[in-house]
Amino acid sequence: MLPIILVFTFSSCEKEDPHLHNEEEVITTLTYTLTPQGGGAAVVLSFQDLDGDGGNAPVITAGNLAANTSYSATLQLLNEVASPAEDITVEVLAEAADHQFFYASTSALNASVSYSDEDGDGNPVGVASTVTTGDASSGNLTITLRHEPDKFAAGVADGVITNAGGETDIEVTFSVTIQ
Amino acid sequence: MDESTGIPLPYGTVFIQELQVGAASDSLGRFQLKGLCKGAYHLQFNHIGCETHSVFIALVSDTTVEIAMHHHSELVDEVVIHDNKSDHTTQMSSSISRDAIKDETSKDLSIMLEQMVGVSSIKTGAGVSKPVIHGLSGNRVTILNNGIAQSGQQWGNDHAPEIDPFVADHISVVKGASALAYTGGSLGGVVLVEPDDIENDPHLHGEVNYIFQTNGLGHTLNARLQNYAKWAAWRVSATAKVFGDRQTPNYYLTNTGKREYNVAVQMEKKIKPRWRMKLYYSFFNTEIGILRGSHIGNLTDLQEAFLREEPFYTSDAFSYSINQPRQMVQHHLLKLESQHILNEHQSLNFKYGGQLNNRQEFDVRRSGRSDSPALSLFQWDHFFESMYRQQFGEFLQMKIGAQFRFTDNTNNPETGILPLLPDYRAYRGAAFAILQRDKNKLLYEIGARYDLSYLQIVGFSTTIPRTIERNYHTFHNYGVSGGVRYKVLPQLKLSLDIGHVLRSPEVNELYSAGLHQGVSGIEEGNRSLSSERSTKVVLSADGALGKKLFVQVLGYYQYISNFIYLQPQPEFRLTIRGAFPLFSYQQTDATLIGTDVLISYEPIPRLRVIAKYAFLRGMDSRHNLPLIYMPANNLFGSLTYSFKDGKQRKNTAFTINGRYVFKQGNLNADQDYLPTPDGYFLLGASLSSSFSWKETSFKCSLNAENMLNTTYRDYLNRQRYFANDLGWNLSVRVNYLF
Repeated sequence: MLPIILVFTFSSCEKEDPHLHNEEEVITTLTYTLTPQGGGAAVVLSFQDLDGDGGNAPVITAGNLAANTSYSATLQLLNEVASPAEDITVEVLAEAADHQFFYASTSALNASVSYSDEDGDGNPVGVASTVTTGDASSGNLTITLRHEPDKFAAGVADGVITNAGGETDIEVTFSVTIQ
Repeated sequence: MDESTGIPLPYGTVFIQELQVGAASDSLGRFQLKGLCKGAYHLQFNHIGCETHSVFIALVSDTTVEIAMHHHSELVDEVVIHDNKSDHTTQMSSSISRDAIKDETSKDLSIMLEQMVGVSSIKTGAGVSKPVIHGLSGNRVTILNNGIAQSGQQWGNDHAPEIDPFVADHISVVKGASALAYTGGSLGGVVLVEPDDIENDPHLHGEVNYIFQTNGLGHTLNARLQNYAKWAAWRVSATAKVFGDRQTPNYYLTNTGKREYNVAVQMEKKIKPRWRMKLYYSFFNTEIGILRGSHIGNLTDLQEAFLREEPFYTSDAFSYSINQPRQMVQHHLLKLESQHILNEHQSLNFKYGGQLNNRQEFDVRRSGRSDSPALSLFQWDHFFESMYRQQFGEFLQMKIGAQFRFTDNTNNPETGILPLLPDYRAYRGAAFAILQRDKNKLLYEIGARYDLSYLQIVGFSTTIPRTIERNYHTFHNYGVSGGVRYKVLPQLKLSLDIGHVLRSPEVNELYSAGLHQGVSGIEEGNRSLSSERSTKVVLSADGALGKKLFVQVLGYYQYISNFIYLQPQPEFRLTIRGAFPLFSYQQTDATLIGTDVLISYEPIPRLRVIAKYAFLRGMDSRHNLPLIYMPANNLFGSLTYSFKDGKQRKNTAFTINGRYVFKQGNLNADQDYLPTPDGYFLLGASLSSSFSWKETSFKCSLNAENMLNTTYRDYLNRQRYFANDLGWNLSVRVNYLF
């Protein structure tokens, strides 16, 4: 019959390859670099997930911090699918008022994080921070990036995520040991 | 007489607009209008089970007119209520009349279909809805736009059909298996959106329809113009809709506005006495705002949203503006049809349908990329059909046909995001045959169909580095169906309909990959899926007691082996954005059992009571678990009082109605993020009337919905995770017909 014939005639035409422009939106890597304020080697915590929504597990590098020490810390966001790797931190800082990082440690961990940067409204962004450790302990540190949070809601500018709202663009958890 | 069978229709009525007089036809379908002066008359014919048919005649001498009424003889469970005082047909359980369509044009197609028993909608907020027939939707329901199967991104629960209901003169739902002539794989059913042929009337006729509604401050304007000119019969329809933020009883749903601008052109020409050609073009164009708080990030965001009273980003002020996230869709349809009457018994019909669907979905993105769509799909579709019809004697009719469909789906690379659905080409060929015998009390129909599909998929690998992968699939599907309709008594009709139909997996079920806002999670296709096999049995009884009581009961049982569904996975997927729920396409066996009941009763003249009840139980019979997204049982009741007609004032009616939707109790706690919402009751009322002078008529109505301003959430509305459903709404409708 005609339709069956048509199926086979048309099927000889191959569909052309799709194009994919640079996967711009993707953040594949977060590195949190803590440098002791008194001098010494930096500790780097990193989370890398190259295939995004795909099934390969992310590679998480945990870290050890010294007890009773203050660290100057910076966050860096990268898109390592692109070649060369793209620095996404720049994009986040360019829209500083629309972004805020939140640091939350589990109660077992003796560490507190405070902000050391600001956006145009005087609210924190969190790319730069100060980490102060207490006595030896271990627990989890979760870093969350919210897009378009309400920075003026209660507690948000102090780093409490409860009333922040917005959409989560990053949420990574590191297991940290203070020695 | 009935258009498709040629059998005379008794007890119809005819009405002459110019003279405002009428007559009824006898048991052989004949009527007589005596003593008419020469002149031009517009006649209106009515019959139970048929649409009002208008005809123009220039009366010079005694004339015999034969009217063929369009009667939905293939629909299994149709009920029409005939009120001996008014000459309009009221709600049909499986068909919506033109009057009802015009009253509801501010609504989307799927919401309009909800008035039929057994039909619900899956919604993503008020702006996006898709029909669910007997528990099945999406790839299992085909919507035919003027005879051409709608081709677009049917797979997404957040992708509404791109059809303007205003173009239709009737909208029907075929629930049984007898839809094989249209398409394969519609295990759920077929929705037919059909404009009528243009009436043989050489004057310019048309109508203007306007609806204003308070919830969303929405304006809907429709206009239609038609003429049976010498060079060709033509009809033009246009619709414009402007809606702002919708409202729950307590707060605005910020960013839920909508715009729609549609136009349709229809032309018919009798080239020779036995050769007619038809052309149809429609353009559908919409922009839909999606509730910002419903486009969430990861599981943490989702759980926070569940705890909120109001969704985040809710504004105190109303606005018409539409921002991200939003959808923009354009759909073009061009249909050409050529009908050839070979002789009294044989006819041949050729059809071509071309469609172009452009869908863009915008999300909130960084660095000014919000204006770049996150999903941008372009789909071409070409459809060819040839059908041959032969009448054997008085009672037997045969239809055989062949179809070919070509679809090309391409992602627009400007998104910069790995596409959820890959590029593909699909070639489908089909052949079908239907035999129908209608004699005395018994109508038999059997049908068979064969489909051959070839898919060519070109996509990206989900692993790094990204490579291009080509995959090919060939599917053979068949379907057989049989139906019997028996008129036990003039007032009692029994029908049995059995169908065994296969459906091959669609490209999204095989290859989708990535975050899909429609399921609030990551979904993954499964390329080893095989075809579903469905067996459905529908048994229905239509009974009438005099003209006062009509009862229709329909029961169905459907068993689908290899039922394809999105199975929630026990582990979450961890990404840099946090943990996401993961869904994977799997196969199981499904059993669906349900019943639709419709009762219409006229206890005293002019007062009509209608009750409808739909029950459905869907189970995953392989794992002994409930099926997800099964509509909850629901009950509907209405009371209508029709006032006596005046000289010019006619069809004045007041209705009060109530709908109760039960809690969906058939679902386990671990099958959904949240427990199913409680049952709810919605109260509504309407008052309408029409006024006529000579050939024009003017109809106005006032309609109130959710009058009690009930706060509720519906299980089939994905927005229930984030916000309440709509609060009260008052619509004012005005229709002018000339």
